[in-house]
Amino acid sequence: MTTRGKLAARAPARDGAEPLGLAIDTTFDDTSVALLRGRRGLLASLTLSQFADHAEFGGVVPERASRKHLEVIHPLLDRALAQAGGERGPLPLAALDYVAVSNLPGLLGSILVGMTVAKSLAWLLERPLIGINHIEAHPYANFLVHGELPFPLVHLVAAGGHTVLIHQTDHFRWRIVGRSVDDAAGECVDKVAKLFGHPMPGGPAVDRLALAHAPGPYPFPRPMLSEPNLDFSFSGLKTAMLYFLRDRGLADAGRLGSQGASLPAAEEGPVLAAFFAAIADVLVGKTLRAARELGAPAVTVSGGLAASGRLRQVFQAACREAGVELYFPPPSLCTDNAAMVACLAAYRFEAGRVDDLTLEGYPNLPL
Amino acid sequence: VSARGKRAGGAAPRPEPSDAPPAPIAGAGLNALAIDTTSDVLSLALHKAGRPAGSVYDAIGRRTTQEILPRIDALLRGAGLAPEALDVLVVARGPGSFTGTRIGLAVALTMARVTGRPLVGVDTLQLLAAQGAPKEGSVFHALLNCARDEVYHARFTWRAGLPVMEGEIALRRIGTVAPEIGEAPVVLRRFAPPASGTQPGAEAAFAALRPLPLRHPRPDGERLLTLGLSRFLADPHGSWAPVAPIYLKSEAFRTWRPGP
Repeated sequence: MTTRGKLAARAPARDGAEPLGLAIDTTFDDTSVALLRGRRGLLASLTLSQFADHAEFGGVVPERASRKHLEVIHPLLDRALAQAGGERGPLPLAALDYVAVSNLPGLLGSILVGMTVAKSLAWLLERPLIGINHIEAHPYANFLVHGELPFPLVHLVAAGGHTVLIHQTDHFRWRIVGRSVDDAAGECVDKVAKLFGHPMPGGPAVDRLALAHAPGPYPFPRPMLSEPNLDFSFSGLKTAMLYFLRDRGLADAGRLGSQGASLPAAEEGPVLAAFFAAIADVLVGKTLRAARELGAPAVTVSGGLAASGRLRQVFQAACREAGVELYFPPPSLCTDNAAMVACLAAYRFEAGRVDDLTLEGYPNLPL
Repeated sequence: VSARGKRAGGAAPRPEPSDAPPAPIAGAGLNALAIDTTSDVLSLALHKAGRPAGSVYDAIGRRTTQEILPRIDALLRGAGLAPEALDVLVVARGPGSFTGTRIGLAVALTMARVTGRPLVGVDTLQLLAAQGAPKEGSVFHALLNCARDEVYHARFTWRAGLPVMEGEIALRRIGTVAPEIGEAPVVLRRFAPPASGTQPGAEAAFAALRPLPLRHPRPDGERLLTLGLSRFLADPHGSWAPVAPIYLKSEAFRTWRPGP
């Protein structure tokens, strides 16, 4: 750590109030800003989804995401300060005790926008800068709403590009014990939804059908469920669906997602419910295996896919049967948000674990 | 304790721009900072009370995001200035490296947001053009080659010691624009001349350009600061629109096609 990049921990006058943190997350296509008092006093949590901006491309265009982040980040920050201040007027930036930002993993160009704004604020305000691993932060959506949870914990993080199992023995003491080796679960659901002609992101549409229909008698595989490890693989399940549709003359295997398939309406629900049951079985099976092997009495589920009502039902039933405690954040804190980043940052600030101005951004999740 | 904590000098209270007397600003001498991260060079320049008070011109490649704030901090500290003591901020707004341009803009916009000081954006082609000093009234061209045979191009006339852009900046192919430029002198900057050749004819087209003799060998922060201050002083109490980056290339540039 270089001396020249170090930041002062000059604290504002707080009159006994708990520390006030600002968190920024621009790791993917959502611009998120949150203001948090202490560990759980969420004063503002705003996310500007760029979804419509990328719709015409059928997926996120990294350069477009980076451009949009720069356009909206200051207006979003101003709005968050106004919301947090309420009737007394916008909170002044000088009231902040620290500035946190997700610096991995994600689209590097996007990360750099949020990180540069956060660094500039930390330097100008003479406050500590805290770089946060976005994947480590996801489970903190649970700490934010449920309070302190008993360690050791197993966390399933089913976020857009990553499905990981984390074993956590204390704050800042955690390791990844399982991860997706190809498509993440959410990615697989989105791609299959696209095969059925549902607009991106297709997760919510698949979830609605899985909630409304019993799974039909379709033999979709449970990839890697019986393998003696905690890793995931979902690309084979996506391919199984492709072959299933192709065998019915409904999809051209060479043109994945180019044409929405058209099953008889009565069949689509049971087919997608069966597909989602395969996803849920693998996620639940691996998470409970991790809890058993690692001696964790409680598990948390977070990330975009954790917003799924059907996944919640399956987890609740399985955890009740296994005698394992289960925690989910509310759906609004499952998808990308800066509130979870702020919550983890609050623990980091209290522990004095802060960064300096030479903080780097990384696209990948370290092994 | 950080360097920032020990910094000498401070922000003297000053009137809001709209309350300030209009005339004496130029004469009083301004504190001003210029930031250019549009290429692989980190370029900074600082004026204290109207006089040069330090600069940076370093090819730091992809380390811009790590280097920029410590280097700005050191520059200001060396001159005994707090960020709040700056009167004007100047930033290069592109075209150039997309990510680099955004890093400079993110720093400059945040500094302007926190300090409440005006931020002036300057185009990179204007900056290239300011390296030359041709005869009054003469016409010349500035070209910036960022990738392959593509060039950002603009035409300038030298007036009263400054390059004045005629028309607009356009993204062209060197093979198309070189014949149009003909014998007129050019200021050319190339980010990364290709090691293993380029599109057929492009190198020949670059080689055929007639370079303008340069008074300043580099498009450095001092040039940027001069241009920014000239814009600011022309309208010191004007309302400064938010500075936005100039990309001139579609974000979905994998499918980008050159115009006619």
